[in-house]
Amino acid sequence: MARKSSGSASSPRLPPLQPAVNHTSDFAAADTPSLSTPFKLDEGYSDETKTQVEKKDLAIPASDGWMTLQEWVLTHSETERAELAFNLLRTMRASTVASVIERLAPRLHMDPVLKLPPEITSEIFSYLDPQTLLMASLASRAWRNRISDSRLWKDLYINEGWKVDMDAVRTFEQEHSGLSSPQLRKSRSRHTDPDSGEPKQKKRVPPSWLNSRTTGSLGRKTRPENGQRHAAQEADNEGDLPMGDASTERSTLFSPEEQTTSPSRRRESHSGSTPLKLSGNGLSAATRRPNSSLLIRMPNGAAKVNWLHLYRLRRKLEENWAKGRFTNFQLPHPAHMEEAHQECVYAIQFTGKWLVSGSRDKTLRVWDLDTKRLWHPPLLGHTKSVLCLQFDPRPSEDIIISGSSDKSVIIWRFSTGEKLHEIAAAHDDSVLNLRFDERYIVTCSKDTLIKVWSRHQLSPADKDYPSMFFGTGVTYPSYIIDTAEMPSPVLEAELANGHMKSLAPFSLLMTIDGHTAAVNAIQLNEDEIVSASGDRLIKVWNLRNGACKKTVIGHEKGIACVQVDNRRIISGSNDDTVRIFDHASGAEVACLHGHGNLVRTVQAGFGDPPGAEETLRLEALAVDNAFRDAQRSGASVDLGPRALRRAGYTQNTTGSRDPRDIKALGAKIPPGGGGSRWARIVSGSYDESIIIWKKCKEGRWVVGQRLRQEDAATSAAYVVSDPAARAATTRSNAFAQQQQHLQNPGVAATQNQQTPTPTTAPASAPQAAGGGGALQTLQALTARLAGQAQQQPQPQPQPQTGPTPTPPAASRAQSQPPMNMNGIINPALHQPPHPLAPPQQQQQPHPRPRHHPRDASAVPTSRVFKLQFDAHKIICSSQDPRIVGWDFVGDDEELREACRFFMCL
Amino acid sequence: MSATMLTFQSNDGVDITIARDVAERSVLIKNMLEDLGDTDEAIPIPNVNEAVLRKVIEWCEHHKGDPPSTGDDDDSRRKTTDIDEWDQKFMQVDQEMLFEIILAANYLDIKGLLDVGCKTVANMIKGKSPEEIRKTFNIQNDFTPEEEDQIRRENEWAEE
Repeated sequence: MARKSSGSASSPRLPPLQPAVNHTSDFAAADTPSLSTPFKLDEGYSDETKTQVEKKDLAIPASDGWMTLQEWVLTHSETERAELAFNLLRTMRASTVASVIERLAPRLHMDPVLKLPPEITSEIFSYLDPQTLLMASLASRAWRNRISDSRLWKDLYINEGWKVDMDAVRTFEQEHSGLSSPQLRKSRSRHTDPDSGEPKQKKRVPPSWLNSRTTGSLGRKTRPENGQRHAAQEADNEGDLPMGDASTERSTLFSPEEQTTSPSRRRESHSGSTPLKLSGNGLSAATRRPNSSLLIRMPNGAAKVNWLHLYRLRRKLEENWAKGRFTNFQLPHPAHMEEAHQECVYAIQFTGKWLVSGSRDKTLRVWDLDTKRLWHPPLLGHTKSVLCLQFDPRPSEDIIISGSSDKSVIIWRFSTGEKLHEIAAAHDDSVLNLRFDERYIVTCSKDTLIKVWSRHQLSPADKDYPSMFFGTGVTYPSYIIDTAEMPSPVLEAELANGHMKSLAPFSLLMTIDGHTAAVNAIQLNEDEIVSASGDRLIKVWNLRNGACKKTVIGHEKGIACVQVDNRRIISGSNDDTVRIFDHASGAEVACLHGHGNLVRTVQAGFGDPPGAEETLRLEALAVDNAFRDAQRSGASVDLGPRALRRAGYTQNTTGSRDPRDIKALGAKIPPGGGGSRWARIVSGSYDESIIIWKKCKEGRWVVGQRLRQEDAATSAAYVVSDPAARAATTRSNAFAQQQQHLQNPGVAATQNQQTPTPTTAPASAPQAAGGGGALQTLQALTARLAGQAQQQPQPQPQPQTGPTPTPPAASRAQSQPPMNMNGIINPALHQPPHPLAPPQQQQQPHPRPRHHPRDASAVPTSRVFKLQFDAHKIICSSQDPRIVGWDFVGDDEELREACRFFMCL
Repeated sequence: MSATMLTFQSNDGVDITIARDVAERSVLIKNMLEDLGDTDEAIPIPNVNEAVLRKVIEWCEHHKGDPPSTGDDDDSRRKTTDIDEWDQKFMQVDQEMLFEIILAANYLDIKGLLDVGCKTVANMIKGKSPEEIRKTFNIQNDFTPEEEDQIRRENEWAEE
């Protein structure tokens, strides 16, 4: 801070200050030209040099007469004082100078947390990763407080590519704010914006992005000016403050919350206006309302979600996925096996607490995932297997639509199970898949066709009315009018005079005939249909007119399942692979080998962080350039893998960026498909296993976990039957990989008590050791045979609501092994829960599934038909009538509480 | 039409004259000029002293050709702490000056300079142990060893 000297030499008086004189003589001795010379030559006066002039400046005596040396020196400008100090130091021995410098060194270092306002430190911290931040939080209390800033961790959370249910967060915050004090409830409308009570920070994540992740985005209110809001709140407090809460509320208002920074301090620190003084230490935690660590109480009393806590728990959850820590569950509840489907389950979907399943037993069933019980009696209506379904439980939709081998499509009311409408003979053969949105239903069939149906009454003037495409592959029913031919006034006139009628709901709008084999799967993505067929092709169609937009080639056999996002198409095929294609160019960017049979169901979550589009494009470009460089430099790279194969090179197709592994150029996404490091693909196969694919450090896809429906069913039954076994299950799952030797005694002990079968005790040993011993195969075979026995006889018709074949009480009391539906004890289900993924599987590039002989002797009993995962669980349906799930929350209550906010990748 | 040169006065009373396009790197000044119209008088910059102001102007001079900041859009991109060579050199100043430049950039709303400043500080934190961070910024450790241990344990979840 340069102090401006007052300028003119006001007074020639010089204080007879002895030390000063001494010093000046010292300077002289040190032979400093600028200062010493005038002193030597003169008695203290000259207007020749600047130094002299300023010397006289400081000659103003303090009011009490004389100045101390320090005061005297301080009246000088900074430049002058520096000069003085320099010259002073020059008179000293080097060691003295060194010690002074050492003492001064800390002065050159200053704490940014003290020097800079929170808005800026949080900007600084926003460049740092979580590990660095946590390390830095150990520097001091002040650092820890700033780093605990919830907003900072919200951005970190979102930038990981993790999705969050902002509606749930808002609701939670409002509920808890409301509970805290009556006046807040009254003024709650001011807090509908989740950020309004929080420090306004430069937005790193556009609000639109966040809102786009939630259904029904709330309009963002413009932020009230900070001062005004505070004034309003204080006014509220002045008003009807109930006596009981007064002390708490008032004191909280003035106590700095440990986890937050005050809005006023965050803003415009330079303006100097701080409406709210935050001196003094906050009140102890005791004065705050006891809340879980999920909540932060803002100075104004509003409750906010603690994003640091959420971030930490999400990490924990992802860790559970990576390490295979889970608990199992099944539908129905093992104590209510009478609620189960009677045959294999082809289709499931879940949303929130609801799951709907469709089975070969011709019924659909609605399940409550909280209780694992049937919600209402099975939905009867189809005359053959239910093959596909979709549902939307929101009150505005309240709908289930199902397709069947009986060629029909049925529309049900979700909440009541009532059949609303049937499209009989929707196709000429089995309806294999269907998707709907607010406007249309799209169905596909074994008859090779895709059909688009209206959901609501549709007039030709409606924007959702199909337009016509005059090319091959699409036909429209004769009642569809080419609205492009008709000027809109004419159209409206025709409608008005009744010459033209609106289409009834569930009218066929178009038929797409573009595949040459059964269309096994379809997806809707905005105005696109993506279809996958037995003809080995994936095709993308314009939903509005049925025109084919592109054809994606890659699979070597028929395709069973497909999934899309805006950047990628993911498919599973009878060639046993999962492939990822660039949505934009159709280029194949990954091919995952790991299953030993048809891949029937797949779901992927890439976890794109905000701004991913640009990152992906640049990465893809870099890969293309590296390929071209390699080509130019004569390296043996080739887009036709055959040439490489001849040269003895096997391409790595799991996302390697090595130029030799590149199969296509011009993609908008890099090999592997991009996405965050948390990206996940889960695929289910006829090899009776489920693979959780994850990204390794190099960004290639590897098998993270291999799960088996059989094992889950066993484990789920045990979990319920005995709390001790439940604990053992969790433990064995959790530490399967690191602590195999530790978990065995525990499990074995539990087992021995319950079921002294000769096979049980050693059962886990070979699995832990090698994962594929002869015993395993034997057991698997037994299991299959038992399964066969179970499947061969037609299931006896059971009264849906009749008495349970296996009394739950007995089952619990004796901890009996789970029974299948027909009451046959399945010996394979008798084995203890065991680690599901031996560690060495992760190392193998192309691991074969455990005991999966593809020979005729083994009759498959748990081919996976359909799976779905969300943030914390996988649910799968299979040949087995039981629907099973893996819940990666485990027994962690804290994590379970936070899971309500977590959304899928 | 508009004046090509403008004069600013630092809070320690020094007038500095610079080209208008350089001054308009500051959003604060740009907006102010739009509101006030042209002026021949020295515009006071109440929060910035001469030394810092000169440093800030040096940066603006060098970056006057940069495309204007696009606001929130570039924020959504993954943040890197890469700093170009000239800026790195420019930021080789003592910590007091560094923090004052950051404060000035924040006050004058010069996003590019604020970003460079924040990145510079972030880079000073990266890869350091808590003790090294304390040393770098002369921070007094006010945790007891027990507290420090506890926080370390609490933070274990973030380790890879």
